Amino acid sequence: MSALPALLLLLAVATVALATDSVVALAAITGILTVLVARLPGRRIYLWSAGFGGLTIFLFSPLVAHYGADVLWRGPHLPTPFGWLDVTTEEIQTAAVLALRLTALALAFGIFALGIDHDRLVQGLRFARRSMLALAIALRLLPTLQRDAAGLTEALRGRGVEVAGVRGHARLLAPLVAGSLERSLSLAEAMEARGFGRGRRTQAPRPAWGGRDWGAVALALLLVGVGVLWR
Amino acid sequence: MAVARVEELRFTYPDAPAAALDGVSLVLEPGEVVAVLGASGSGKSTLLRALGGLVPHFHGGRFAGRVVVGGLDTREAPPAVLAALVATVFQDPEDQIVLERVRNEVAFGLENLAVPAPEIWPRAEAALDALGIGELGGRAIATLSGGELQRVCLASALAVAPQLLLLDEPSSELDDDGADRLLGEVAALARDRGTSVVISEHRVGRALRHADRVLFLEAGRILCDAPHDEAVGWLAAQRPGWVEPPGPRPARAFAGVPVATLDGVGFAYGAPVLEDVSLSLHRGEVVGLLGANGAGKSTLARIAAGLLPPQAGRVDRSGRACYLAQDPGRHLVAETVLEEVALAAPLAAAREALAAVGLDGHADRHPRDLSSGERERVGLAAVLAPAPDLLVLDEPTRGVDPPRKRELARLLRAQARERATLLVTHDHDLATAVCDRLVRLEGGRIAAVAAAAPVSRLHR
Repeated sequence: MSALPALLLLLAVATVALATDSVVALAAITGILTVLVARLPGRRIYLWSAGFGGLTIFLFSPLVAHYGADVLWRGPHLPTPFGWLDVTTEEIQTAAVLALRLTALALAFGIFALGIDHDRLVQGLRFARRSMLALAIALRLLPTLQRDAAGLTEALRGRGVEVAGVRGHARLLAPLVAGSLERSLSLAEAMEARGFGRGRRTQAPRPAWGGRDWGAVALALLLVGVGVLWR
Repeated sequence: MAVARVEELRFTYPDAPAAALDGVSLVLEPGEVVAVLGASGSGKSTLLRALGGLVPHFHGGRFAGRVVVGGLDTREAPPAVLAALVATVFQDPEDQIVLERVRNEVAFGLENLAVPAPEIWPRAEAALDALGIGELGGRAIATLSGGELQRVCLASALAVAPQLLLLDEPSSELDDDGADRLLGEVAALARDRGTSVVISEHRVGRALRHADRVLFLEAGRILCDAPHDEAVGWLAAQRPGWVEPPGPRPARAFAGVPVATLDGVGFAYGAPVLEDVSLSLHRGEVVGLLGANGAGKSTLARIAAGLLPPQAGRVDRSGRACYLAQDPGRHLVAETVLEEVALAAPLAAAREALAAVGLDGHADRHPRDLSSGERERVGLAAVLAPAPDLLVLDEPTRGVDPPRKRELARLLRAQARERATLLVTHDHDLATAVCDRLVRLEGGRIAAVAAAAPVSRLHR
């Protein structure tokens, strides 16, 4: 499938996830997206962050929310912003919706990052190409950032300094950011040297859209329509 | 007609105390392969950037004199315009690749230059084929090795059919044979097409093998600009350290105490990388670990230093091990040079280590304010300061000029008695100068072990 129809389909799924309040629909979307992400190389960080984010929302949002009549558990009174630590059926339902929605959106981003050919997307867009190119470069450099982090950790371990705990890892943040800035400057220099920003440019010919591409666009429109109408 | 003409070029980077280029003049003719030699900071990279228009357009600074490339004055034509005439390959491929797929990456420059659409794919394919990497066209960039990435960058440069090709350490990721082959191919292609090539290389022998003409820069000035044979004569007479190896260390029998013993070590990243490797490292000896890219050298070095547990066999180690990875300048974490070196060592030892690598005047500076060569020396000081019993160095001379290489050789020899040292290197001269014993890995197995003297037997 071409990149642009794939992106449209993904945006449609994300729109439905944002629009619907149905736990069943959100669970179905999350399940399908999980299966899709699990088939992609480099999936681990996206599966973990989506799962962690969703679980955190599900566990903590009932504790800070204060509504619903069907109280399942009442705990002690804590200082602001917590107040009474109580959990109601309504709060759990809302927490499930929020958690599934967040997980679905994170997984959709995972598919965008890992499963879509950004080169072709940049080529196919008629607007915001520079922004898309910047996003594509940022995504391409994510593994480089991971390698830099691993390199920093190894460099410290190589001197007998173990990187452990929040403080240990926090020490890596500043050099990682500084390293990324250095890389971005070098890349900007290289792009300028390769004629980027010269003015008129051409595009290498790309394959025309096939039946699957048009089918994906139709499905995307259908999903948005159904999602908005049946919310 | 000349491809490029530089007239009395003087350039100073913003806030720099001294000029990076000082009165440089030269003319580049079509089809000429020119090697630019000089120590780190001598102005080699700045000269390449001036020829591509990045100096002064991208970097700013004070620019005097004139650079004309293909009839365009670089003060008036920005780099993006000059890109139709000049292609540059920078040292680190990770810092110049834009797109995710090899074929798209090679086409990127052609698209920027508004090459007619029907010509783009054939030209991209031809450039990949010319460098023997046609089969990589459909691959994702993320799956390529460092050497493959460098070839992709070169293909991207060749695809635009430049009049002037600028190569800044273009083979730093390759072993000797691979780098030699690559430079040979590029030089042949350039001569066929009438492209002028300027190569900045620290591995002097390799640059000299492929150059028609040599420039030697020092403190921003051209000290020598001569045809190959004449330049070799000048170097031998005026800068002998650039053409003579550091000198072989006399081989000696060794009977020190083992600091680390690897017995039947095996490791695999999916495919086997090391198989049944046994090696002892004794206090007082320097062992050189040689082999082509992918032979398993870095994995073995990590296992020896205790950073990676072996999947088969065992490692016995006594005392402290320190490991210096490739490209240590990228892996500095502290706010000052002294703090960096003292992360795992007392302050006094850190100061001593800084003095040993010639950086004692830089203790209070931020590591990222230093040049790349100085950063690498900070990394070296940081593994010397803890006084390890086993020191493992992975390619410590990549991108290091011959004078610094000599200093490193002297330092390692002077301190050899204090520890066992494992030196992973592609650099035969350094290995011969420093090592007592050479171990050659091939396909994850030890193929040869010898005293340092008969190094040629190990390599050819």
